[in-house]
Amino acid sequence: MAHAETAQHTEEEYTSTGINHRKLLMWVFLSSDCLFFGSLIATYMVYRGQSLVGPYPIDIIDIPITTISTFVLLCSSFAMVRALAATNANNQKGIQIWLLITAVLGAIFIGFQVYEFNLFRSEGLYIYTNLFGTTFFTLTGFHGAHVTLGIVWLVGLFFVARKGRLGPKTALDVEIAGLYWHFVDIVWIVIFTLLYLIGGFDAGPTAVIGPVPSMVPLV
Amino acid sequence: MSSQSHGEHSSHPTLKQYVIIAIILFAITIVEFFIIWPYNRIGAAATPVLIILSCIKFAIVIFYYMHLKFDRRLLTWIFLAGLALGLVVSLALMTLFSSVYATPAPRPYAAANAVPYVHGEEGHEVASESGHQEPVHVSEKATHTEGESTGSVGEPASSGAVDLGMEVFTSGGCGACHTIEDVAVGMVGPDLTYIGSEAASRKPGMSAEDYIRESIKNPEAFIAEGVERAMPGLMTSAVTSNLTDEQVDGLVAFLLEQK
Repeated sequence: MAHAETAQHTEEEYTSTGINHRKLLMWVFLSSDCLFFGSLIATYMVYRGQSLVGPYPIDIIDIPITTISTFVLLCSSFAMVRALAATNANNQKGIQIWLLITAVLGAIFIGFQVYEFNLFRSEGLYIYTNLFGTTFFTLTGFHGAHVTLGIVWLVGLFFVARKGRLGPKTALDVEIAGLYWHFVDIVWIVIFTLLYLIGGFDAGPTAVIGPVPSMVPLV
Repeated sequence: MSSQSHGEHSSHPTLKQYVIIAIILFAITIVEFFIIWPYNRIGAAATPVLIILSCIKFAIVIFYYMHLKFDRRLLTWIFLAGLALGLVVSLALMTLFSSVYATPAPRPYAAANAVPYVHGEEGHEVASESGHQEPVHVSEKATHTEGESTGSVGEPASSGAVDLGMEVFTSGGCGACHTIEDVAVGMVGPDLTYIGSEAASRKPGMSAEDYIRESIKNPEAFIAEGVERAMPGLMTSAVTSNLTDEQVDGLVAFLLEQK
């Protein structure tokens, strides 16, 4: 078949676009993940300040702690960059170390999140408490799930690296994991800004400080 | 193929450049933090600044760390297409159902039914049922002035009580319906900007303080002349039954100051 012929002609790994199919798939996936997180973030923003009962963000959001965990995630992104550089340079020791550092930093970030979730729970914010709890836990929980999956991936790569199977020829394996990892990082950049820096001072539905553009039509 | 990947590699940023990029990202995060810390210092003006800063971080990561800048242009388009779709969907949802950047609009139903958060207490429903608990941060302030504010009538209210009243007014939901200039704009109930000077002449034979207290605890007892109620039965004693005596005293003191 024509299919098989073309497959023999070009290298199997490459699509008709000339881009490796795994890399292309990862980008398409990340692109669709934008929609996924976009809708979760939009849901949070729509219900922002609409909770009828507390705790409200201003009661429990801890911005300094989250700034630290944001730093940790940024550092892990840098470590990921170093892991890919080490792979391209065929620095076996470097690959293992940087992959491990990336995974550990990711795990620390998750540790912060576990701490935060537990704190919120002890303050009385459950996923069913109010709209803030529902949208907050759903969004940050899904992000945490992404990070967790990334950690599993990185640890897997670490064991592959220990067998010496990562190097310039298989750099794509590390590069794709890196794309995923950096994406998780940028999603957090958005979440940190919207939920913590901007939304962290929200109080209840009624604390309307300052002028409000239009009145609500009543029945 | 090989020439292409070769070209990719040679144009990748060097280690030094990656370090600089990381420092820029850290620096932006620090700036973001100090824009809003310790208290949302520049208020509403911070929002666009923070959004722009996070967009810059976002762009730096995707173009350098995810090396879109050095990769095939097609990948950039694929990603930006999804990003744009997600953005448009999000903005559409927000435009439809809420105000994006403005403070959430007041909703009388929500205002009338909001339950204040009781710090450290498991389950706020306890608070709404008994009506005797009060938020810790409120009571902390109140303890300083307990003797003066709760006891004697007619004495000038201490600033502690006024602060407490301000807090109750803003976080307790009054501002959703009532307007006080520079504090809140609510279009449902009477304007309270000058209530401090008007209250004394509202109800014959009743002092300003007593009138305000009655209007809080039993809003239906007297409807001031010229006050058009947008929704009869919205402001009832049920709205304020959750307030402790201390909080009511604070509210009275705060409202008396509105002259």
